[in-house]
Amino acid sequence: MLHLEREGIVRVKGLPFVARFKWSTGFLMERFIKSLAEKKLLGAKCPSCGYTYVPPRSRCGKCLTKLGEKNLVELSGRGVLVGYTTAYVGLDGEGNFVDLEKPRVIGAIKLEGADSTIFMPIGEIDPEGVREGMEVEPKWREATRGELADIEYFKPSR
Amino acid sequence: MMFRNVAIIGCGQTKHSSKRRDVSLPEMIEEAAWRAMEDAQVTPEEIDAIVVGNMQGFGGVAQPDQWIGDWIGAPGKPVMRIATGGTTGGSVGQGAIYAVASGMYDKVLAVAWEKHSDSKEPGATTGLLHVALANFFHAFNYGMNLKSLVATTVVGAAAGVAVYQAMFYMHRSGCRIEHFDMVAAKSRRNAAKNKYAHLQWPGCTPEDIAKTEMVAYPFRFGHICPASDGASAIVVAAEDIAKKKEDKAWVKGLASYSDEENQLMSESYGGVGILDASEQMGCRVSAMKAYRMAGITDPKREIDVAEIYQPFPSQELIFAERLGLFDEGKAWVALEEGEMEIDGRMPTDPSGGVLATNAIGSSALQRILEAALQVMGKAEEHQVPKEVRNAVAHGWGGVTNYTTVTVLGDSPR
Repeated sequence: MLHLEREGIVRVKGLPFVARFKWSTGFLMERFIKSLAEKKLLGAKCPSCGYTYVPPRSRCGKCLTKLGEKNLVELSGRGVLVGYTTAYVGLDGEGNFVDLEKPRVIGAIKLEGADSTIFMPIGEIDPEGVREGMEVEPKWREATRGELADIEYFKPSR
Repeated sequence: MMFRNVAIIGCGQTKHSSKRRDVSLPEMIEEAAWRAMEDAQVTPEEIDAIVVGNMQGFGGVAQPDQWIGDWIGAPGKPVMRIATGGTTGGSVGQGAIYAVASGMYDKVLAVAWEKHSDSKEPGATTGLLHVALANFFHAFNYGMNLKSLVATTVVGAAAGVAVYQAMFYMHRSGCRIEHFDMVAAKSRRNAAKNKYAHLQWPGCTPEDIAKTEMVAYPFRFGHICPASDGASAIVVAAEDIAKKKEDKAWVKGLASYSDEENQLMSESYGGVGILDASEQMGCRVSAMKAYRMAGITDPKREIDVAEIYQPFPSQELIFAERLGLFDEGKAWVALEEGEMEIDGRMPTDPSGGVLATNAIGSSALQRILEAALQVMGKAEEHQVPKEVRNAVAHGWGGVTNYTTVTVLGDSPR
């Protein structure tokens, strides 16, 4: 319950609540996630202004046109790295910073046929070798399950 | 007071239910926002500014206002989020009214919502973690332990407050639990006439409610509001724009009130020491101020219909008195005589109210919206049969004592 661990710190344990969430994604986003099982990447192309969103959304943010299932388009999955960073420090899950054994590259990717960007880890490349404009493609998990983690990371196209 | 006349020129809301799993949060919100703009016959481009809100901590999205802009035409415009707990919708509506009345903007969209089903826990539990506990954690510093805190002050948050309120009211007025059955049955019946309402029960009788099991004395299961998914929206416009519209509800007066009681500070640990939890002076003071602004001197005669924030049936009676619609301690007598029915002398919550539909952040904006529909004569099946010249909309919540009162009418101030 109530523990006075150190002077000035009141630590409260044993709350009679749990707080879990299950956010609904909306229909188009659900299609996007489920299609990952077939290693497909879906976007939504606005019929009015042509802007293409990945992941898809049901209202064009540019011209406010309502989008639906008929506006879904399948993308090749290839993309271009438009920006990136390299992380050298991470969290250990206990509230502490730790130095990463291997630096991790994270990048913004503009997929072929899309106007919006997605942010993904970049793998199979040393941080020194990463360049803006390089072509990348998804590295799929071997057994895909229709969830966001089906794409492990993006890697340089060969 | 120096401010411009404003009117509500458009109303929109979603159908309410316990689960809207078919839509994401912005998809649900945009339903109400677009319906309000369509009803007002304005395009998103014509809207000058947007006021939004839901109850802080609910739904598990910390800054939902940052997520919904591109869905409702907000880019390039001021978007302001207001969060005043259970009263949020009332404050969102009044915020939009301030923005137009001040002369800063001509057309403002107000949107409020709640999406309870995004929580995996029953009812509003995840929200309570934020509100009920986080707001009262400071009590630990006064030496109160967690068990005592939970047992004494925050038992079921709003329900915990409302049970005390109901008991105080019953004690001083002679109202009995049977009257709560009557209010609840009326709410279910009225909601059955409101196509957007959540708990609809045509022909529901007090006996039906009396059969439901006791949850926290004096409240039975049938006395308690649902946790709804839904959103509501209004478009507020300046006088010269509103005059050109066929349908409008003029804002005649408004007020709001907050005090230390809002944090239950007097219940157990040395606040301002209000002894009667049903006293609700904030509502009385707000009503007096709003009526004065509206030029209303005799609310019993001049108010035609009331939309009262009543997640629990006792609150419809308590606040109806505090809004000056019935004599002190006598609302339950008027209820017995049928005065509060849709076709009664003083219809209260013809929409079914919060007792039938509680998408928390939206609930107090819905009171304003429903009052506007009554003034415009657009409430369809739950339109009161008499002429509506003035309607009062009430909001309650905060943590436990934040009040908004908004008076609407068929002519400008």
